[in-house]
Amino acid sequence: MTQNVSVDDETARQFLEGMLRIDIFEEETKERFGEGEIPGFVHLSGGHEGSHIGMGAAMGDDDWLAVGGARLIGQYIAKGVPLPDIMAELYGRVGGSNKGHGGQMHVSDIGRKLYGHAATIGSGQNPAVGLALAEEIQETDNVAVTTIGDGGTSRGSFHTALVFAAYWDLPVVFVIENNEWAISTPAESLSPDHLSDYGIPHKMATESIDGSDVEAVYHTVSEAIERARNGGGPTVIESRVARLVPHFEGDKETYRDTDEYERLKEEKDPIENYRERLLERDIVTETGIEDMIANIETEVKEAVEFARESPEPEPEAAYDHVYRTPLYGQGENQ
Amino acid sequence: MSQQLDAETETTTQTIRESLNQALHEELERDERVLLYGEDVAEYGGLYKISEGLYEEFGEERVFDTPLAETSLGGTAVGAALAGARPVVEIMYADFLPIAGDHLINYAAKMYFNYGDETSVPMVVRSMYGTGDGHGLHHGQSPEAWFMNVPGLKVVMPSTPREYKGLLKGAIRDDDPVIFLENKMRYGESGPVPDEEYTISLCESDVKREGTDATIVAIGGMVYEALEAAERLSEQGIECEIVDPRTISPLDTGPILESVEKTNILVTAQEAPTFGGFGSEVAAQVIDDAFFYLDAPVKRVGAPFTPIPFAENLEEAYQPTADDIESAVIDAIET
Ligand SMILES: Cc1ncc(C[n+]2csc(CCOP(=O)(O)OP(=O)(O)O)c2C)c(N)n1
Repeated sequence: MTQNVSVDDETARQFLEGMLRIDIFEEETKERFGEGEIPGFVHLSGGHEGSHIGMGAAMGDDDWLAVGGARLIGQYIAKGVPLPDIMAELYGRVGGSNKGHGGQMHVSDIGRKLYGHAATIGSGQNPAVGLALAEEIQETDNVAVTTIGDGGTSRGSFHTALVFAAYWDLPVVFVIENNEWAISTPAESLSPDHLSDYGIPHKMATESIDGSDVEAVYHTVSEAIERARNGGGPTVIESRVARLVPHFEGDKETYRDTDEYERLKEEKDPIENYRERLLERDIVTETGIEDMIANIETEVKEAVEFARESPEPEPEAAYDHVYRTPLYGQGENQ
Repeated sequence: MSQQLDAETETTTQTIRESLNQALHEELERDERVLLYGEDVAEYGGLYKISEGLYEEFGEERVFDTPLAETSLGGTAVGAALAGARPVVEIMYADFLPIAGDHLINYAAKMYFNYGDETSVPMVVRSMYGTGDGHGLHHGQSPEAWFMNVPGLKVVMPSTPREYKGLLKGAIRDDDPVIFLENKMRYGESGPVPDEEYTISLCESDVKREGTDATIVAIGGMVYEALEAAERLSEQGIECEIVDPRTISPLDTGPILESVEKTNILVTAQEAPTFGGFGSEVAAQVIDDAFFYLDAPVKRVGAPFTPIPFAENLEEAYQPTADDIESAVIDAIET
């Protein structure tokens, strides 16, 4: 017996479509990386799609998302960064969100209020508190949502961010995506029953939810954002997901139990579960889904074409944007 | 001062990765106070497989994974070292060293000085640097200049497999806190390593190649680039002497000065941005103590003053190479 659908049909279809967009974009990324077109290394979001899309849907355009954890591409997509901008950044081209300066781990988009500069794990939470502080000072009702993995929660900076958010009672929503693994280190060795319990001593609202259920994430994050907007202060949410992909492409995952892995793939795949749920309730049809997939495949293909055609940065671009005010000729050619 | 292997020494050709693994193995075996810990170092064997097999061999009391928290890696190593252990902690990428910075800079480096007794903090922080793999802004910076300005810390940056092994063993036995920097792009580099047990003491510069026309002081991965440049220059009739300080700080300047006194030309080579870097310090030392031996301005080879860009073409241009060293030497000689 599958679960009920708690959002209207249109929203439900958008959730499915959003998750499929992440999946299809990332499958393509994996292939392009395998072919050597995308340099560096890539971390994919498999298993986190529901958490990303539910969270993104709960946010307003003017709310900040300060991303963390290693599953970043899905979050960029959930915050509305156009696929060509992301793909071109993965390729390191001028058409990329960061003009090729950053790559996969560093996609950011201030216009869309995506704070992404997150390749030191667990360093995004204090800046998120700062984002919320600035919003409060400017008397907006915008909030800051910030994500982190289970691994990152061991960082002192995560805990001091909780202290500050509580101290100033700021509109921050901490989302911990607990996929049970930090590379090869299992989260089960950490003491709290739920990682959201880290909010308890700060008297914050806390929730632990099934993060593979896009609707659960959507509702929980929406409530937390609502509370924050209305002066109710910060919330800590544990979004329990499964990491259905290697840590990064190329990780052989010898540390994982195969049976358990297979079970998770069966039970915690947010896309497959939601697809069945919507089909069963006649909210989508098989052909409807096929159309959806075909459309996304076209979008993704266009993103790849855009990235391929986008030029490499000019050599002088290495000196662009080092300083805001050009010094000694640096950055003058913008 | 040259520490060339004499012809008698039996050696095996092996990689830097194997040499580091052996060094850790031998020291864990030799001294039960030695501990190895960090993120994913145990069963996983370290992200770059440096500690592979050590957890299986020595067990979880000696080789263990930790939660993800560099501050705690630095801080617990200080405490453990102070109380009689010999911790070797791995901070995955050197870009994360600043997270542990307080413990390294304000504590490890200054405790012997402040306690004023026999207190020592014999800890080794192993960490990786190195560009060329598209890892971008936070996964490849060369951090030696961040730390060489801190009295009390020893900063080690080996080049060849033989030195990686000998210096890691030397660092573990050293009574001062050591930051041991490994170039992640060079782990596969191979060379002769003595079969017999040996260690290399810290703070001794080594002459990697003898020559009379120009001195190249190169560190870490740049030693390979300097050797390549020297080969090419040799074909043009220019013989370079290459000095590899191996320990960045405290710096053994003797062999550098002697070499410059002989060649009268100084070129430095590092992966970090040139400004405020190791090469600048070497240049200053030579200007202080051997100024009148210099026939030409000092040339410093390093990265431009910009973060490591991700785009492949920019990263490639960013990285200093043998070409840059070659032209720096020619420039200096032609001045
Ligand atoms: C400060 C810091 N330490 C270590 C790393 C290396 N690293 C990258 S991802 C990762 C594991 C992160 O685990 P988690 O926070 O649970 O996120 P997940 O990978 O599960 O998304 C580690 C150790 C890093 N990038 N930054």
